[in-house]
Amino acid sequence: MAHNIPAELKYTKDHEWAKIEGDTAIIGITDFAQSALGDIVFVELPEAGKTLDHHQTFGVVESIKSVSDLYSPLSGTVLESNKDLVNAPELCNAEPYGNAWMIKVKLKNPSELNSLLSASDYQNFLSSL
Amino acid sequence: MSLLKTSLHEAHISLNAKMAPFAGYDMPLQYSSVKEEVLVVRQSAGVFDVSHMGEFFVNGPEAVAFVDFLITNDFQNAEMKKAVYSPLCREDGTVIDDLIAYKLGPEKVLICVNASNIKKDWEWINSKLGTFNCKLVNNSDDYSLLALQGPRAEALLKELNFKLPSDFPYYSIAELTHDGEAIIVARTGYTGEDGFEIFSGHNFAKKLWNDLLEKDVKPCGLASRDVLRVEVCYPLYGHEINDNLTPLDAGLSWTVKLSKNNFIGKSALVELKPKFQLVKLSLERGIPREGYEILNSTGETVGHVTSGTMSVVTGKGIALALVEKSKIPSDKKYSINIRNTKYEANLHSKAFVTGGHK
Repeated sequence: MAHNIPAELKYTKDHEWAKIEGDTAIIGITDFAQSALGDIVFVELPEAGKTLDHHQTFGVVESIKSVSDLYSPLSGTVLESNKDLVNAPELCNAEPYGNAWMIKVKLKNPSELNSLLSASDYQNFLSSL
Repeated sequence: MSLLKTSLHEAHISLNAKMAPFAGYDMPLQYSSVKEEVLVVRQSAGVFDVSHMGEFFVNGPEAVAFVDFLITNDFQNAEMKKAVYSPLCREDGTVIDDLIAYKLGPEKVLICVNASNIKKDWEWINSKLGTFNCKLVNNSDDYSLLALQGPRAEALLKELNFKLPSDFPYYSIAELTHDGEAIIVARTGYTGEDGFEIFSGHNFAKKLWNDLLEKDVKPCGLASRDVLRVEVCYPLYGHEINDNLTPLDAGLSWTVKLSKNNFIGKSALVELKPKFQLVKLSLERGIPREGYEILNSTGETVGHVTSGTMSVVTGKGIALALVEKSKIPSDKKYSINIRNTKYEANLHSKAFVTGGHK
């Protein structure tokens, strides 16, 4: 099945995406991730102010039958988390790149951006699975 | 070891099912969405391939007496053509498996067992045969098993010209000939809804599967089956019951008939006091999962979740949990530890969802 992979975003092998805007990043999970998880029924996200290391667990997303950790693609400080997902976790299935963004992070180490995958790299990664 | 395949394996692959290993078989977890599959069974009808389950036949003059000796529930006094759910216990009262025994005739019993326990059960049952005048046959590989579940199930089988008995209540069984093939239809299931389990040869099952899908019956996988059974609080071997627990530990004392004649485990079960109590808990927020700690109001661990999921019907996190008898709090207040946060739980005396079976 073909998955939506917007060209302007960066990706990780943990199936998170990051949209870089200057020194902040908006982070969520990919279309592939939501499709693999199935009906998403619970999302737990950090409070603003929490500092995250590269690859640190920043939250949890749960489908009816599974629990999956969310890994921060970048280190930094959480500026905001998406409170809408608490009451409407199903947005993660419907709009993984839109209204289901998860956190906004102020970047600590912009050089980490080089470790992220481009859309085509992520596409190749998915094809290799 | 390569995974076993049911006769419907190709059908699952062609439907793009998400597959996973279960009890040595490559089984469908879900086809579309777990949510949709649960709802369709509660509201209409879904079909499950449960051919991985085991089928043993006990034939002979003492078939009924032997099964009655094996299991803790009363099989001797069950009416002809009835099904009886029961634990199968060791002498010390611990549970080998749970099963359904079907009284097909005075000298013919079908036992349906969990796929993961087929070998263990088969060896145990054979070792206990002794001088009972009956024969045991393991037909697990010869049968496919489809579970058609939901309020539309009876109408669907009638549309497909199944000649069901006019009096065919829940937990009964019939041997039928359909399209020239001898099959067994039981009005049982694992969803709490009305429904049927159809034991047949493999080709018959493939055709029935297709016939049902053509009638817009939704194929449903093991994931929705598990949510359905937790919603109605049915135990699952390896979760609420296992080799180290007795039926009394898991709220199954109603299946242990201490008044009946001798049966395996009776002397132990007469004496034993349960070590655990099965509790039903729901959360306003958060989803309990197997292994999570159950806490009392002072934060002490008193038990563990044995099965947890999001209930599709109630939209709440629900759990079956075993609480240590000695630690049952007098205020009956429980919470569940989810990632080191305490979530206060509601204690339920009845199942989370009332199934529609009659």
